Amino acid sequence: MEKDIRENIAWAQINKDVLRSLEAPRPLYWVILLVALAMVGVGVGCEIYQYQTGIGVANMNNPHVWGLYIATFIFWIGMSHSGTLLSAILHLMHADWRKPIYRFAEAMTTFSLMTAGLFVMIHLGRLWQFYYSLPYPNERGLWPNFQSPLLWDAMAIFTYLSSSIIFLYVGMIPDLAICRDNMHPGWRKKLYSLLALGWEGTDRQWRNFRVTYLTVACFLIPLAVSVHSIVASDFAMSQQPGWHVTSFPPYFVAGALYSGCAAIISLFIILRYVFKFEEYMTLSILKKTSRLTFAIAMVWTYLNAVEFASVWYSHDEAAKDVLIQKATGTYAPFWWMMIFCGSVVPLMLAFKRFQANIPVLFAVSLLLNLGMWLERWMIVAPTFSHGYYPWAWDHDQWPSLVQWGIVFGSFGWFALLFMVFCKVFPSVSMYEVKEMVYHRSLALKNGETAEEGVH
Amino acid sequence: MMENGFNRRDFLKVLGWGGTAVALSGCGNTSVEDGRETVNSYVEAADYVIPGIGVYFNSTCAQCDAGCSIMGKVREGRVLKLEGNPDSAINRGKTCGLGQAGVQHHYNPDRVREPLQRKGEIGVTITWEKAYELIAEKLKDVSGEEIAFLSGGVSGHLKVLLDNYLASFGCRNHFVYEALAPAVVRAANKKSYGVEMPRYNINKAKVVLSFGADFLGAWVSPVHFSQQYAQFRKGVDGERGVLIQIEPKMTLTGANADRWIPVRPGTEGVLALGIINALGTAGGDIAALVKDYDKVRVSKETGVPPGHIDKIAALLKLRSPSLVLAGSAAEGYAHGSQNAAAINLLNHVLGNVGKTVEAAAEVPFPQMAPARGNTAALKALNDGLAAGKYKVLFNYAANPIFTAPGGMKFKDNWAKADFKVVFAHYMDETALQADLVLPLDSALEDWGTHVPEYMADGAQINIQQPLMERLHANTRGMGDILLALIKQRRPEDYKSYEDYYGYLRAAMLQNKAALGGGGMDDDTFWSETLSKGIVKLAGAATTAVHSKAGATDLTLPAATQDAQYPLQLIPAVNVSLRDGRHANLPWLQESPDPLTTIVWDSWVEIHPKKALEMDITEGDIIEVTSRTGSVKAQAYLFPGIHPDAISIPLGQGHEALGRYAKGYGVNPFQILDAVFDKETGELAMHETRVKISKTGQRVIVVKDESAAGAKQIRKKIAGRMSTDNVDLSKEV
Amino acid sequence: MSVNNLLENWAQFRHFHPVDDKPHDPYKWAMSIDLDACSGCNACSVACYAENNIPVVGKEKYAHGQAMHWIRIEHYWDEDIGVPGGREFPEQGAQFLPMMCQQCEAAPCETVCPVGATNHTADGLNSQIYNRCIGSRYCSANCPYKVRYFNWYDYPTTDNVWPETMTRQLNPDVTVRSKGVMEKCTFCVQRLNAAMSTARSEGRKVHDGEVQTACQQACPTNAISFGNLVDPESRVAKQWARQQVELTKDKQTKDAEPGGSRLRGYRILEELRPYPSVMYLERVRESAV
Ligand SMILES: Nc1nc2c(c(=O)[nH]1)N[C@H]1C(S)=C(S)[C@@H](COP(=O)(O)OP(=O)(O)OC[C@H]3O[C@@H](n4cnc5c(=O)[nH]c(N)nc54)[C@H](O)[C@@H]3O)O[C@H]1N2
Ligand code: SF4
Ligand code: SF4
Ligand code: SF4
Ligand code: SF4
Ligand code: SF4
Repeated sequence: MEKDIRENIAWAQINKDVLRSLEAPRPLYWVILLVALAMVGVGVGCEIYQYQTGIGVANMNNPHVWGLYIATFIFWIGMSHSGTLLSAILHLMHADWRKPIYRFAEAMTTFSLMTAGLFVMIHLGRLWQFYYSLPYPNERGLWPNFQSPLLWDAMAIFTYLSSSIIFLYVGMIPDLAICRDNMHPGWRKKLYSLLALGWEGTDRQWRNFRVTYLTVACFLIPLAVSVHSIVASDFAMSQQPGWHVTSFPPYFVAGALYSGCAAIISLFIILRYVFKFEEYMTLSILKKTSRLTFAIAMVWTYLNAVEFASVWYSHDEAAKDVLIQKATGTYAPFWWMMIFCGSVVPLMLAFKRFQANIPVLFAVSLLLNLGMWLERWMIVAPTFSHGYYPWAWDHDQWPSLVQWGIVFGSFGWFALLFMVFCKVFPSVSMYEVKEMVYHRSLALKNGETAEEGVH
Repeated sequence: MMENGFNRRDFLKVLGWGGTAVALSGCGNTSVEDGRETVNSYVEAADYVIPGIGVYFNSTCAQCDAGCSIMGKVREGRVLKLEGNPDSAINRGKTCGLGQAGVQHHYNPDRVREPLQRKGEIGVTITWEKAYELIAEKLKDVSGEEIAFLSGGVSGHLKVLLDNYLASFGCRNHFVYEALAPAVVRAANKKSYGVEMPRYNINKAKVVLSFGADFLGAWVSPVHFSQQYAQFRKGVDGERGVLIQIEPKMTLTGANADRWIPVRPGTEGVLALGIINALGTAGGDIAALVKDYDKVRVSKETGVPPGHIDKIAALLKLRSPSLVLAGSAAEGYAHGSQNAAAINLLNHVLGNVGKTVEAAAEVPFPQMAPARGNTAALKALNDGLAAGKYKVLFNYAANPIFTAPGGMKFKDNWAKADFKVVFAHYMDETALQADLVLPLDSALEDWGTHVPEYMADGAQINIQQPLMERLHANTRGMGDILLALIKQRRPEDYKSYEDYYGYLRAAMLQNKAALGGGGMDDDTFWSETLSKGIVKLAGAATTAVHSKAGATDLTLPAATQDAQYPLQLIPAVNVSLRDGRHANLPWLQESPDPLTTIVWDSWVEIHPKKALEMDITEGDIIEVTSRTGSVKAQAYLFPGIHPDAISIPLGQGHEALGRYAKGYGVNPFQILDAVFDKETGELAMHETRVKISKTGQRVIVVKDESAAGAKQIRKKIAGRMSTDNVDLSKEV
Repeated sequence: MSVNNLLENWAQFRHFHPVDDKPHDPYKWAMSIDLDACSGCNACSVACYAENNIPVVGKEKYAHGQAMHWIRIEHYWDEDIGVPGGREFPEQGAQFLPMMCQQCEAAPCETVCPVGATNHTADGLNSQIYNRCIGSRYCSANCPYKVRYFNWYDYPTTDNVWPETMTRQLNPDVTVRSKGVMEKCTFCVQRLNAAMSTARSEGRKVHDGEVQTACQQACPTNAISFGNLVDPESRVAKQWARQQVELTKDKQTKDAEPGGSRLRGYRILEELRPYPSVMYLERVRESAV
């Protein structure tokens, strides 16, 4: 059996390696950070222009009222599922191999939610009145509309975001203490002291910590499932052909996990390279992640097939028209690209020799994410160009540079948050890696004893 | 851009400066601080101002010659909206979209606000006194024969005053020009029925057979006809009226027909005779005339299948009375009069005259009767100008430099007159070529009386009254200007009239008895007249229509082929923009053309079959070349057009007229050949032949219709039933 | 702001949809449009611009699909015309259809609005509260008829939309909408409110014909009828009754008649159950020619 981790890494070595990633950045880090900043600059510029001029500059129209913002919003919500999957679900399933990589996956969750949330606001015609959609107390009794999935969205995202931050933070407390103990006095030391909440590693603390972490994990899983189900409800609860699909909630969740996994692979590879984490982010773990991704890809493909088949064999002519429109209309190239990236490309992952081939995996993971982004766009756009009302058909619109600019900027924004996080917080969980090393050495020992017994 | 007239940019600069000067000199919008404000107190508001409540004043729509009566909703001294006046027999409370847009002429930001005199290439603001002096000076040394006055259709007291003014210096050169008047049909009607415009009772007809009369769109009195049409559809004696429209390019009326028949352009008369032949009921001269027009020949010449001719004839026989109309698509040829006469003949043969074609009432004041515009007048003026006959030229309510057919070279000839005065609302193409521009009040600021050309029920005189105060201090009503000018010539006769309002009131009161005010005191009569907005002339005389067919010596040429210019150009009349005078109204520019839904632009309509032959797709920029000139516009594939014809709507392609008109589309008037109807001398609008070629450029056509091409695939969006399956008698 | 209050009001809000135990009273505004009379002339549309301060967006924005016409005149052609192998000419003309907000009784746009900016009034209108709208455009996404128009720009401050002097035409009874809010046909609610207010102060109900929508008022063919469906004597109520179109049904009984009912009334996309308040009367075409 391949090793997920070397069993004889010294614990001090682990601390040293991980803490090193917090120290003086390599030039490559700066390059990435600056690129990310530049991308954010583009996005912010576009948003300022759009805010001032009116959202018409995004080139949406009547009736094509939703565009890339909503598509990209779903995309980022989807991304956010990676962390929850790796941390919470795999934690509950005692999948040890998640340990070196779950921290950055959790950070991804938080940051992609923060990005997604921005899109909800960027999309609004009157961003400055955003708070109307919150059930804030006011003496006029003006409630938001509890029937609207968009309101559920606002609440779900808010809850999910706050829970994710708590989960990320709670899981990080023992590591923050390590940072505190290993830092020279300065702002970092102050920060870690504050955040470590006086962690000393007593038994009582560990006991409470375990219970809390488990509780938050249990809370987070249904939340993750619900948040993307609710995003799916934005469509499924509507009356539009191509949208009111019963299978949308599980389909969205599968898509979310899928894109989350793919993103983990990309970031795994980047971090492994940038921070020289070869020791912890091992090829064996990568292989497991690839297999998991493959499995989810097949689930996604299956759900897609279910959707197409149920539309095709139903008597819902309007929905069928939308499907035909997707496959043959103006959006066809993107739709087929989505099928290719989402269902064909992952077949590569079925081959053992690619499962740990870093260049191939990197390319594949990017393609998978492209496919997942296209999926969201292909959910949103074609229904607008081929809804119930024929007069409004085919009023296609091509997103303006402003729209593209903001979508582009969002990737920079995500990267920026992520890069800053990696320099401020340990992106590999030290205490859990230690646990893993310990477990492995124990297992080896037991194995040896067992082997001895056989002979 | 320099032209042989004014430099447009400088002209506008001066204009803009003039406008600012007005605002500064205190006509309302001043701040409290400068201390010169006239405070309007609602405590002592004028009695017609009720804050917050709209008050309606009656007036007359000036957007076209139909003469619909309107009510203007006025609130806090501003006119906000126009509604139809329910008391008018013409429009019974209704308006068309064009009428609705009347307020936009009034509030248009591009109105001329000051008198302007040409100084070289620019226009300079002058005072009205100076302007009047200038006119007096220019008229001093010229004889009446050297003066020409070009105007659009005028009627009522303005016409009287204008006639008197021209008579005051012995000028007989009043040219009444309307680019889109049914002048040939009028002449043909005069021959066939004895009146130029009989009353057409669409509502009494069981079948309407229309040869290109777009009576629901832009023809004669569209609001009136639309109402009649609605009644006609409900049916006479429970029998729903059937509309058959015969025309080479589908009009709005054609789009509403039970059967739309594309006829080869110009062969409408032949088809009419063919139908008479197929009816087989005519005797004597008429039978002799149509005997050669058998189905086979007619079908061959017109392109209408023999079966259709039979069906039409059968239907006409079965359902009586019917009504046959000759419209602009039939009259626009060198043999237009012949076409119209042949079509009118059908009404005689079918016995419709006296039933659905009736005598119209007449206003008993011939001097007020409308001077009906036509295109022959423009030709006469043009010939005179070309010969250098006219030294001083006035222009009112026409934009000949925009609407004259390119083949006339009108702009060059216009320049031959020494002094050109244009009475203008806007700096349009003609005003730009003037030596003196006099700014007019809008129709909602001015006084007037109008006699509609088409009388619906009894005769009526329509009153036009200001719906609010002048928006701009230095514009004047046309009546006031004429009064000031005539005072220069005959001060004694007119000195008792302080202004046109005074003149109008006095003139009306003079004929109080004849106007139905016998027994009323002057003030009561006058205020009642104004509050009603209409003077109905009970018992007005009518000229009886001839019930016998007129001349039967018709010569109808067969359609010709022209290898060099293979296509017939049909200049289409847009319901809203008409001859282009309304192209500066944003509501109308953004009001989609009903058949193509195109906005803010021109297009070339071409049948898909022809387009396929020439590899043309929607949005291709097409160059359309006639013997006179060429224009380029986007192609629109349209099945409602004869494959041997193309069509470009009129009204767009302005080089002036303000921000909403300038630079949109092309002007097909420019490429019209100067061909005239042989009998009346009217411009044959549909006689221009063209060739088309692709330029290789393509644009996306801006229209409301979706790219899916307005089909309702499998769904019942706009439902349609056949008469067999419906029972209209049960309906409310 | 108790939860109890919330629940109560919520139940009431939901009750405004057509249910037999709580009929509309005293008003239910409705319309019927006779497609056989409608000539497609567009007068109604221009009148609506004039009455409701609708911005003219200009060619460029129109090209982007950002036109604002609350009532648009659609035309439909038979599918086999002008295509290879099909008929050469549209021999029965076009089919015109004025389309505006159908004031759905169970409006798909209302349920999805996150802030309740669009909701149902007691007199059966789908109302739009501009102040409250945050511009999410979900309502438009869910409107089956696509009759909601969004203010993509701030038209009052956009060049040449309402330049000085044009501003003075604006109807003071109707808001000039700012950027980022949704709008649509209101059944000329300002006219209805004025009429209802007058009637209330005179202690009576609005009688039939007392109030007209701007489009109805202009329409040269009288194709549009408008009135109170609760009043059985109103023209609209009589038309609906005669055509056997019932507001609270998603499938009319008459449509089940074998061979057709010989009645022209129908509602568009009725089967989606929005319970539209506009009945159309089918266009008729002569079979003998
Ligand atoms: N019957 C009745 N009475 C009411 C109310 C009601 O609803 N009904 N409402 C009450 C309420 S809420 C209010 S706020 C009050 C308002 O009562 P007021 O404050 O009396 O308000 P206005 O009647 O608007 O008068 C303000 C005056 O200021 C002048 N003015 C305008 N601009 C300027 C400026 O720039 N400088 C100066 N110096 N003067 C200026 C105006 O010409 C006007 O004369 O009325 C109260 N009274
Ligand atoms: S038909 Fe002519 S007069 Fe009548 S409302 Fe329309 S534009 Fe005005
Ligand atoms: S037609 Fe559309 S906008 Fe109007 S009520 Fe129905 S769903 Fe809402
Ligand atoms: S655009 Fe306005 S009315 Fe429509 S759903 Fe969003 S907030 Fe509600
Ligand atoms: S009812 Fe009023 S708001 Fe609605 S389309 Fe007609 S005019 Fe416009
Ligand atoms: S005004 Fe009347 S006839 Fe004209 S398009 Fe509107 S509904 Fe039809």
